[in-house]
Amino acid sequence: MELLCYEADTVRRAHPDPNLLYDDRVLQNLLSIEERFLPQCSYFKCFQKDIQPFMRKMVATWMLEVCEEQKCEEEVFPLAMNYLDRFLAVVPTKKCNLQLLGAVCMFLASKLKETRPLTAEKLCIYTDNSIKPQELLEWELVVLGKLKWNLAAVTPHDFIEHIMKKLPLPSEKLPLIRKHAQTFIALCATDFSFAMYPPSMIATGSVGAAICGLQLDDGDRSQWGDNLTDLLAKITNTEVDCLKACQEQIESVLVRNLRQVRQQQQQDPRGPRKEMDELDQASTPTDVRDINLYLK
Amino acid sequence: MCGTVAMEKRALNPLGNAGAAVCRSLFGPVDREELQAEYRALLRRDLEASARRWGFDFLNERPLAGGDFEWEGVPGAKVPALYRTCMVGQQRGAPQGEQGGKENEARTPERTAKPRCPESTPEKSPAQTLKRKQTNITDFYQAKRRLVATPRKSGQ
Repeated sequence: MELLCYEADTVRRAHPDPNLLYDDRVLQNLLSIEERFLPQCSYFKCFQKDIQPFMRKMVATWMLEVCEEQKCEEEVFPLAMNYLDRFLAVVPTKKCNLQLLGAVCMFLASKLKETRPLTAEKLCIYTDNSIKPQELLEWELVVLGKLKWNLAAVTPHDFIEHIMKKLPLPSEKLPLIRKHAQTFIALCATDFSFAMYPPSMIATGSVGAAICGLQLDDGDRSQWGDNLTDLLAKITNTEVDCLKACQEQIESVLVRNLRQVRQQQQQDPRGPRKEMDELDQASTPTDVRDINLYLK
Repeated sequence: MCGTVAMEKRALNPLGNAGAAVCRSLFGPVDREELQAEYRALLRRDLEASARRWGFDFLNERPLAGGDFEWEGVPGAKVPALYRTCMVGQQRGAPQGEQGGKENEARTPERTAKPRCPESTPEKSPAQTLKRKQTNITDFYQAKRRLVATPRKSGQ
């Protein structure tokens, strides 16, 4: 008889817990505590002297790449950015220490959310060995102290399932909507203009942008009543106008990023990639369904 | 689908450097000495804030006068194992409190700055072990034995 070991490289995950996902009290509690985990101030204006918004974007982009390459859980990156913003709102930081801070935040978020967390050594390699594991561990303690050990912050991901289950969505579309909403959440985390928004608003805006992007909202108007936005706003008690503005902001950040990608591709001496040529034919880059069609 | 995911990745990555190495130093070399000094200063400030908050001098393990709390020494053996000072990885001869029962506080810079070796078991020195009244290894075994001895509750 041969024995098979299935434990090999699969990450063990808990099943979705209906007691958590289908109880409205959980959503209400999340909504009531989420503000506690926002950064104390918009720190670039009032606090930081050496670092600027574009540097946050640089470190965020690097962190996202590390998380993707290491196949981290989706929540790790937005959670790490929450730590980073909360730390920067209370400690004046030099630009040369910003990457160390980013690595520490990923280290902490990964330990909180993953069964196999990122190691200090690995993270140091990703900084091209510009920091040492010992320094990472030392600063971990500093960051923990400044965050008052409050690591279990509410993130937009906590709201996704609660929002989606309250919308009349075809079940076969759910995985794709979820995937796109997660992408939008990561996109928001890279952009400082979203740093002070409550996570529920980012989640609601991301689900809205995902549904609009996939054009699931215009097939059968009646199922949405008049307006998807109204319905979404009601679920998370968000002002309709705020939500609309948030969703538009998400879409414009996506357009901006896609444009930057395209410029980068054109400047690339190796010439534009094939997919990018094809993408150019798409009329609106925000239409994620088109991207999907062109790239199939 | 694969295409979509790749596209999304690139949409999130304004540098578009899909092939470039993720391993990179973003803002140039780190000034190690300055970093170390800043780390110590931040920890010291943290410790001072804690001392004010709890009315306790964590460096010398002594209550401070005029705080909001009244502190009382308790023999280490009387507090649950969780609260006892852990010996693993700590420097021998470091001025540890005899009373144990330490608050879960930020460590002093002096203590953490020393290289730690969590892998190595401290050398046996009966005098010191006795003095500290710490029996961490035994505690561990006790806990384990208790775990094994616990009968299964469910009818599996």
